[in-house]
Amino acid sequence: MARPKIVSLTEAVGQIKDGDMLTFGGFTVWRRPMAAIYELIRQKKRNLHLVEVNGGTHDDMLVGAGCVGIWESSWCGHELYGKFGSNLARKIEKGEILYEDWAHIHILNRLTAGSKGLPFLPTYSAMGCDMLNPENDNLGKAGLRDGSNPHIGKLKYAMYQEPFTNSEIVLVPAANPDWCITHVQMVGAEGTVRVDGLKFSDQEVIKASKHNIIIAEQVVPEEYLRREPTRNMIGGYLVDYIVEQPWGAHPTGLYGVHEPDGEFISNFFKATRTQEGFDQWAEEWIFGVKDFQEYLSKLGITRLESLKANPALGYSSTMKRGSR
Amino acid sequence: MESKKGHSKPGEFKPIDLLACAAAREVKDGEIVFAGTGLPMLAIMVAQHTQAPTAVCIYESGSIDGRPIDLPTSVADARCSYQAAVGDGLTDVFGQLQSGKVDLAYLGGAEVDLYGNVNCTFMGGPTGKRLTGSGGNSDIHSLAKRSVLIMPQFGQKRRFVERVSYITSPGWKIPHWPDKEWVPKQEVYGSAFNGGPAAVISDMGVYRFDAKGEMYLDTVHPGFTPEECRENCSFDLNNF
Repeated sequence: MARPKIVSLTEAVGQIKDGDMLTFGGFTVWRRPMAAIYELIRQKKRNLHLVEVNGGTHDDMLVGAGCVGIWESSWCGHELYGKFGSNLARKIEKGEILYEDWAHIHILNRLTAGSKGLPFLPTYSAMGCDMLNPENDNLGKAGLRDGSNPHIGKLKYAMYQEPFTNSEIVLVPAANPDWCITHVQMVGAEGTVRVDGLKFSDQEVIKASKHNIIIAEQVVPEEYLRREPTRNMIGGYLVDYIVEQPWGAHPTGLYGVHEPDGEFISNFFKATRTQEGFDQWAEEWIFGVKDFQEYLSKLGITRLESLKANPALGYSSTMKRGSR
Repeated sequence: MESKKGHSKPGEFKPIDLLACAAAREVKDGEIVFAGTGLPMLAIMVAQHTQAPTAVCIYESGSIDGRPIDLPTSVADARCSYQAAVGDGLTDVFGQLQSGKVDLAYLGGAEVDLYGNVNCTFMGGPTGKRLTGSGGNSDIHSLAKRSVLIMPQFGQKRRFVERVSYITSPGWKIPHWPDKEWVPKQEVYGSAFNGGPAAVISDMGVYRFDAKGEMYLDTVHPGFTPEECRENCSFDLNNF
C-alpha cells in the first residue's frame, strides 16, 4: 500500500491473526505500545509467536493473558519495578509455553538480518554459554524445526569457521515478523515517523517486519516533519496503520513526555505472581474497561499529571523518587 | 527528594555504600565503560566524580557519555541521556562492544562460579526457577576487555558456587559447543578474544582471578574476616 491508513486501535489490532509472529518497538519498560497490548488481550489473540530484542512489562502481560505460544528474546522483566517477568517465569516453569533464550546481540542480529534481506548475521557473542547449548534448542526439541513454519529456522544457530581469519563465529538466522507495533511521539499524516530520545532497535525491528502499526502521541502534518528530515526515522511507505493514542505507552515511559508508572508496574508484578492473580488484575484493568480511553479515565488526571516529563530534562523533575 | 538528614556523616557507611565505592575504584581515568542497570550505574558515576573524571560511560540502550545529574532507574532512562554525546541505539553500542572498544564492563548476576561464569537465567538450570534471562549480560561479559561483577554475598552463599547451574555469561573457562569440552575462554573466542572477568565485588570483599582463571579472595571489606568470606561461599576459596 502506498499510504498508511489512520484507523482506530480496535481496527488496527483486528488485522493481527492468531499464530502471527509479532515484535515491538521500545526497550524494556520504555516506549512500549501498551494500548495495543491491552487491545490484543481484549481481542483474545492466541498462539502469538513473539520475537523480541528484549521483553518487558508488555510481553509478560501478553504471556499472562494466554496470548503467546512461543516467546523468543533475550530478557523479560520490569527493570527496577519487578525482579523478573513472573508470568513468563510461571509458564516456563510449568512447561506451558515454548521459549527460546538468546543473547542480546543474537536476537538483535536476527532482526537486523531480517531488515536487510539477509538469511543470517554472524556474531561472537555468548559463545560457550547455555543459550547455545544444543540441549536448550527448545523449538527443535518440540519438533518445530521441520520447515513447516516459515518463522522457525531449520537450526537455532550454526557455528561457522569463517574463511578470512579462520575464527569460529555464531550465525543466527534472520527473523521477519508478520507485525511490528511501535509507539512513538510523532507520526505524519502520511506515515513519516519521528522518535525523540534513544532509538533502541526500532529501525531494525520495523524494517524486518512485513506490516507495521505506528501508535503516536500525536499525528501531525507531514510538512512539519519534512522541515527536518534528519530527525525522522522511517518513511510512510513502511507503515500500514497509524493510530493516534496519547498516553498509549502507559505504564511504560516515553522520553520527553512521561515517566514509567513505576508504582503501576510494581503492583502488576506483585499482583500477577499467580494465574489467579493475573486474571483478577486483567479483569480490573483490561476487561473491566471498555477501551484505552476508559483505562486512562480510571487512572485519572492526577496520576497521569504526576508522571509528566520536564521537557528541558526529558524526565520528571518533581516525581517523588526512592530514598534510603 | 528527602531532606539531607538521610546523608551519611564522614566514616559512616552501609555495606552497600562500600560495595559501590569499591566497584568505582576499578575504573581507570579515560576508560570506556559499559554499565548495566542498578549498582553499576552508581559505581560509574562515583568513579567519574572521583578518580576517573574523563571515563566514558556507554549504556546498552544506546546513550554514550551522558552527564547525568540524577541517578537513572535503568539504562534506557532519560536521565542516562542527559547531556550525552550521542543517543542512538543498540546496533551502535553493541557493535562498538564487539569491535573491542569497551575497556571495562560492570554487571550484576544471580550466581557466579569459580571461573567467573554468571547465571541470570535459571536458578537450578532449565528446570529451576526462572529469572530475567541475559539481556546484555552475556554479550558484555563475552566481549569487554575487563568485566566486573557486582553481587551481594553476605548470607547468600548459594550465589557463589563451584559451577553455575546455567551459563548466561562466559567466565575464564567455558564449554565448547557442541562437544561440551571445558576449555579456556581464549580457545573458544579465538581472534575475537578481548578479555574476561577481572573482579567480583561483593558486600564482603573483592575477588579476582588467577592465571588459571580461578577466583581468589583479594581484599576483605572492613567489618568482615577472610573466614567469613569463606563461609559465605559454596566453593573452597583456597587461594588466600
